[in-house]
Amino acid sequence: MEALRSAFTFQKTDLWIGGVLASCLILFPLLGPSSFAMATMIQFLMFSIYGMGWNAIGGYGGQVDLGKAQYVGIGAYTTTVMLLRWDVPFWISMPIGMAIAVGWSFVIGYPLFKLKGHYFAIATIATSLVLKDLFEVWDFVGAAKGLHISPVKYPPPDFKRLIFREDIYYYYLLLAFFFIAILVINWFRHSRIGYQLRAIRDNEDLAKSLGINVHWSKIKTYALATAFVSAIGSFHAVYIKNIEPEDTMSLDISVLIALMAMLGGAGSLWGPIIGASILIPLKSYLKTWLGAKAGLVGIDLVIYAVIIMVVSAVEPRGIWGMLQRFKRKRN
Amino acid sequence: MALDVLVSSLVAGVLIGTVLALVALGLTIIFGVMDIVNFAHGEFLMVGMYTGLLVAQGVGMEPLLTLPAAGAVGFLLGIVCYFGFVKFLLRGPMLAQLLGTFGLMLFLRNLALVFFGSEDRAIHHGILVGKSLALGMGVMIPATKLAAAILSVLAFICVWLFIHKTKTGKALQATAVNPQGARYVGIPTDKMNGLAWAIGGATVTIAGALLVNFWAVNPYVGLLFTMLAFTIVALGGFGSVPGAFVAGLIVGLITELPGIWDFISITLGWSWMSKVPMTSFKYTWVYLAYFIIMLISPKGLFGWKR
Repeated sequence: MEALRSAFTFQKTDLWIGGVLASCLILFPLLGPSSFAMATMIQFLMFSIYGMGWNAIGGYGGQVDLGKAQYVGIGAYTTTVMLLRWDVPFWISMPIGMAIAVGWSFVIGYPLFKLKGHYFAIATIATSLVLKDLFEVWDFVGAAKGLHISPVKYPPPDFKRLIFREDIYYYYLLLAFFFIAILVINWFRHSRIGYQLRAIRDNEDLAKSLGINVHWSKIKTYALATAFVSAIGSFHAVYIKNIEPEDTMSLDISVLIALMAMLGGAGSLWGPIIGASILIPLKSYLKTWLGAKAGLVGIDLVIYAVIIMVVSAVEPRGIWGMLQRFKRKRN
Repeated sequence: MALDVLVSSLVAGVLIGTVLALVALGLTIIFGVMDIVNFAHGEFLMVGMYTGLLVAQGVGMEPLLTLPAAGAVGFLLGIVCYFGFVKFLLRGPMLAQLLGTFGLMLFLRNLALVFFGSEDRAIHHGILVGKSLALGMGVMIPATKLAAAILSVLAFICVWLFIHKTKTGKALQATAVNPQGARYVGIPTDKMNGLAWAIGGATVTIAGALLVNFWAVNPYVGLLFTMLAFTIVALGGFGSVPGAFVAGLIVGLITELPGIWDFISITLGWSWMSKVPMTSFKYTWVYLAYFIIMLISPKGLFGWKR
């Protein structure tokens, strides 16, 4: 009960932002967007939720995690394998995927959080790459070729397995996930563990001396972040319908997740959403316009890399941090 | 029959290990001097590989003579990256530094993709290509690998001498130990940071020009070497030059584990062992090794910096 109340407790500014955002997102499909715009919006929502998950451990906790893609992979593979082999509906396979991902996050989180700073960041990459290598040779999950969900086998719209022909179903479902994610993060940042984590970020030794179990708090938050990412990983599987180790578990995805949160402002509620709303449309437009039309493969990612470099050198606190500074100056 | 498998994997491991040690040398110097992890390190290597390849093919030169050109390119690249970009990252938090150098990595990789396309390219000419040294028992050493290993050791010795025997090298060491103190005694620490990047760039591009003689280059080659270099640096100790050499040899041997696995499987005659797809996991062991090393001893073998 207490948790529910704190999940719905918003400050006035947050309520305004949330209200405007929610109405825009709910009304968006009524504008009759092209399928390209729709797909971009779905990507935006997915990556916002990934980013919110990352933000719990990376933004509030200051632990730079560059291995989130492994949980996208665990969620996506659990759902796909269970659907293809045993015809398990999405609503059962998603929690199972989350449970597996959280279990795995405890297994590797326990040793991982003994490391700090750069060492931690590189170790998360290492675990993610080990898992990817494993999935690339594991025949049970389709090895390097990956798995393919054929929509022909399931007459859409299939609400049990979440196989649809129109993107609009996916959009509204994902939007529901999106709002739930915001509420969970809102609960998290007002909760005991949220405050503990911010204390750890600001001064770990001091936090320890106050009696906070630093190691265990980090592991618990990491598990929470993992659950977010894995749930959307499952969704990714039924939406994309074609999963391979290379595009679900690559380092680029992990970094994109971290980058969005940083661009928007790590450690704030709206940061990951702002970051995703800038980077995802930019990425898909650059890709279709420059990449395909001009025949210049890679030029989109060059521009993208320049943005990363400029942001990290000029404004490491992100856009939300910049806005906060303006606000403070005006007052 | 089985012993030659073992000996040739061990020899191959040592040879590749010396080159890998040279790859990691730049990373450990940069980390030691200024506490920043350079994710673009593998991409610097790729730049070296392309330089070696293009100079060798464009001018029709002997591939091993392209090393000075590659070194010069790396030196300049390091200086440009430091004064043009990395310097500004130092003000920000660690997250910004990590993602900043990651951006540099994406930038270099995709620039190479725009210019050179995604196909593999390799060198097929030169006096050493196709020649090999017979070691008896059917063990053959390719001449290109042997030359690369010898030249790597030479380059390593040169850098070690520079750091330990010259005045500039000692200033570099002082900056690594205590930047503020170094500034007080009149060492231009900003220039020293730039120098660390220049040496780091030059050594890794030289390693790249050596590697390209027996390793095909494409724009995506960097990440693997970045991870290998991280492992070597972690094992040897962040900031330690002799540590990088020893750890390079060890990691070189780890990458040859499939051969050793074959040797055990042949000797013991266990058929299940030969069914395990070990070659697909060639580099997985390296990542695992990084993870385990960091847990057991975060300082590494010769580390002094935490």
